[in-house]
Amino acid sequence: MHKYSMLLISKNYLMELVKMLKAEYKAEGGKLIKVQMTKRGNKIDSIKITGDFFMHPEDLIDELEKALLGCLLNEDVIVETIERFIKDRGAVLLGAAPEDFAKCIIKAGGGDG
Amino acid sequence: MVERWRLLDTGLNDAFYNMALDEAIAVARSRNIVPNTIRFFRWEPSAVSIGYFQSMEEEVDVEACRRLGIDYVRRRTGGGAVYHDRDGELTYSIVVSEDHPLVSRDFQKTYENLCSGLVRGLRLLGVPAEFKPINDIVVEGRKISGNAQTRGMGVVHQHGTILRDVNPTIMFTVLKVPSEKIRDKMIKSAEERVTSIKRYLGREVSFEELKRALIRGFEESFGIELVPGKIDAFEEELALSLKKEKYSTREWNFKR
Repeated sequence: MHKYSMLLISKNYLMELVKMLKAEYKAEGGKLIKVQMTKRGNKIDSIKITGDFFMHPEDLIDELEKALLGCLLNEDVIVETIERFIKDRGAVLLGAAPEDFAKCIIKAGGGDG
Repeated sequence: MVERWRLLDTGLNDAFYNMALDEAIAVARSRNIVPNTIRFFRWEPSAVSIGYFQSMEEEVDVEACRRLGIDYVRRRTGGGAVYHDRDGELTYSIVVSEDHPLVSRDFQKTYENLCSGLVRGLRLLGVPAEFKPINDIVVEGRKISGNAQTRGMGVVHQHGTILRDVNPTIMFTVLKVPSEKIRDKMIKSAEERVTSIKRYLGREVSFEELKRALIRGFEESFGIELVPGKIDAFEEELALSLKKEKYSTREWNFKR
């Protein structure tokens, strides 16, 4: 019995890991943000952010995605993570704000409330 | 003495060379090999470009492009997916040193400054164009020009489109729509949201007439003189290598 339930847990766990979560969110600045992600528990396990927004310098997007790995699926925590990244790296966003990215991520992955 | 910029008219080229040459001009400008530059260009074959952050698979019907002989390429600038019609669209790029008075630290302000040349040029043609933040130029609320900007190496590079004529049906054949059911709806809605010089004026304006108006618009608005020039050997060599190693590769075009 114990062995069987362990098997179930691990199957659900694996299912959740590979399940691709997607969402689109129209930012107040008018641009569309798209998120594709997987989660582990209530944290971001992998993430790709696409869309028609502007971020400078452009190639920082890969590092922003890396900075979000392991981040708790909580809107405030995500906003703070993105804001810190932008400040530390001197990035500029146009047409979308950290709040918009966070809302899209929560829409895709669900929040912890 | 009025400030002199270089004017390039590179005519028809494929999407990969077009995007490669833009980057090559920016690199050449950053090394002071060439002066501030405005370039006009067109696309042959017609092409789709996507913004730096977009996904090719999500935005573009690659199969339809192949079938129709339409190129697809990722830009070095952000923004949205654009269908560049060989006969409907004129494309321009501006490459200007970051220390020029037209360039503000504020990206939004810089868009407005650089778009002012296009707005003035369109008005000279009798088209009451207005800049609309973030990066559009509209006529009576309908988009006639989309623009995108990047900066690096001390240089600002902005490129964008001016619609002489518009064909939303081809546009939504090559751009992905959420579902087949709403394709017609999207085409109709694009017809309402987008316009062209031909549609507004009710007459055909040739590429030559359009370019002449835009040249005057840029000259008057920027307070410069545009001097027809040539692509530098450094730019040409770099463009060919960027086309081969970057813009025509699957790695670049499908990287997101």
